[in-house]
Amino acid sequence: MIRPQAVRTPRPVVELTAVAKEYGEVTALRGADLTVRRGELLAVVGPSGSGKSTLLNIMGTLDRPSAGTVRVDGHDIDALSDRELSALRAGTIGFVFQQFHLAPGVPALDSVADGLLYSGTPRGQRRAAAERALRRVGLGHRLHHQPHQLSGGEKQRVAIARAVLGDPPLLLADEPTGALDSRSGAVVIELLNELHEAGTTVVVITHDRDIAATLPREVRVRDGRVEHDSGVRQTPRAPVPQEAAR
Amino acid sequence: MSTPDTMRRAGRPGARLPVTARPPAPPRPVPARMAVRDVVRAGGSGLRSRPLRVFLSALGIAIGIAAMVAVVGISSSSGENLDRRLSALGTNLLTVTPGQSFSGDRAQLPAESVAMIGNLPAVESVSALGKTDAKVYRNDHVPVQQTGGLTVSAARADLPGTVGADITDGRWLNAANGRYPAVVLGARAAAQLGVHRAGPEVQVWLGEQWFTVVGLLAPNELVPDLDSSALVGWTVAERELGFAGRPTTLYTRAEESSVPEVQAVLGATANPENPSEAEVSRPSDVLAAKEATDDTLSALLLGLGGVALLVGGVGVANTMVISVLERRSEIGLRRSLGATRGQIRTQFLAEALLLSALGGVGGVLLGIGVTGGYALSQNWPSVVPVWAMAGGIGATVAVGGLAGFYPALRAARLPPTEALATS
Repeated sequence: MIRPQAVRTPRPVVELTAVAKEYGEVTALRGADLTVRRGELLAVVGPSGSGKSTLLNIMGTLDRPSAGTVRVDGHDIDALSDRELSALRAGTIGFVFQQFHLAPGVPALDSVADGLLYSGTPRGQRRAAAERALRRVGLGHRLHHQPHQLSGGEKQRVAIARAVLGDPPLLLADEPTGALDSRSGAVVIELLNELHEAGTTVVVITHDRDIAATLPREVRVRDGRVEHDSGVRQTPRAPVPQEAAR
Repeated sequence: MSTPDTMRRAGRPGARLPVTARPPAPPRPVPARMAVRDVVRAGGSGLRSRPLRVFLSALGIAIGIAAMVAVVGISSSSGENLDRRLSALGTNLLTVTPGQSFSGDRAQLPAESVAMIGNLPAVESVSALGKTDAKVYRNDHVPVQQTGGLTVSAARADLPGTVGADITDGRWLNAANGRYPAVVLGARAAAQLGVHRAGPEVQVWLGEQWFTVVGLLAPNELVPDLDSSALVGWTVAERELGFAGRPTTLYTRAEESSVPEVQAVLGATANPENPSEAEVSRPSDVLAAKEATDDTLSALLLGLGGVALLVGGVGVANTMVISVLERRSEIGLRRSLGATRGQIRTQFLAEALLLSALGGVGGVLLGIGVTGGYALSQNWPSVVPVWAMAGGIGATVAVGGLAGFYPALRAARLPPTEALATS
């Protein structure tokens, strides 16, 4: 992965400009603007129905907006075909879901190795990377455990290991603590913080304002709009150049 | 601003970019090709998690393939058995019978026809039977009408060598005993006359006098007429039974390579005056035609196997449709991991193909087992042609492809967000 360290203002990974999304009669997003720069850790917080999941789907190129511009890692989503979007996800975006999405009966190592299945990496390298990733999330002793042998927190850490396997510039976590008790949830948030410190861009979608408040940047969504953006709180950076969000 | 030079440098690590400039558009992302092994592994992962369902739907396919392979296998084994029997009996035996004359009477072969055929270049041996009007009975008390369908024929001494007749007891007629009232009985004739062994004290009532049974013949597959015959010497038949000395059946062994040529000239040689009257036939062809497997029945059974295969295919399609419905969230996850629509389609198609190939391999093995068991019970050699096995596997692959195509298409068309929303 190319990381231009020398750039003063990090390049944007995600740029949403006046993004709207309608599902038939229902309007999920109405003119949302959001720019996420490399190395950021931010929370997108809002009540259910606020459009934050739609926002994540659009940031993750799983869905296309009805109107507005989306740029991910420099690519204009509108100009890419479904095939190219798939390739973009394979190389650029890692996903963590509330429901973990671990196949029953599959050992953790194989589940994690699937994170690089569509990137053209040979199986041996995938498994070696998976083992490293599992050790990194503190599950070196759970390599061959199946999902039913793991606790909820461990399952989510397996899912995170899978998401960061290819070292993607962007990690999108959709309610990663939603199915966990508060102690396991804290461990997961701590892990996301560690990944952020190691350089990964992390976007956490959550309805939990307490979690959102602990993260360096907080974006509040309500009724399909960005209601409030705290900006980066801990390490102030140069103002966002407007033309970057064109 | 965006000169080709800066564009080139922008891709390199550590390249400096002007802060205010938008970096040039990166190259369009290209999906990586999946290795064949990964495709197979991904296809198999869906099967491994549901073994019972996989077993049952593969069984449907297996039954169809097993039926088809067994039908082909059993008919091939029967054919192989016939071939082996024929090659043991020899396929170079030709017979000439007088046939019917133009006026509808029974035609006759000239007495010298044996010698004339013997002069043909490719003829290895020739012998003859001459049917007499005499009848044979167990003893002199049996009513005259009860002939039991047995015939009495005069046989040349060289007959066994030519037709391949085996003596089970006693010996064949020879120059010495052929002059006296001696008889050799075919297998059925012996059984009907209550004769179980040959010997000087064993006698049958033949042509109004006692004949001594000097030999018994084994059943003859190639010339079944011998089985119901009582055979006497040529001389004794002429002297005692009013036999005119004209052969009624000529037996010829031709060189294996020249059978058709000999067959073509045999009639004319046997009866030069009326060549069209003589009927030439090849007993091995008659036997083959009689024993050849009934093609209509085989076709019917093959058709039934095909129907079973079709039903198995529907089972596979059903399994795949359910599999796609159940695994929507897996499809969503794979799309989020970067799988293209095509890769999802390929995965489910591979799963369907693996499923039916499993059934196909099982079915071929089952078909070989059924063929082997049946052949063993019939004392046949067991033969399953390679084309039948390959065809069986090929058919399952075709069925699997057809059955998996639509479900795979549905899986691929599922939008990722919708797929992820179900769980």
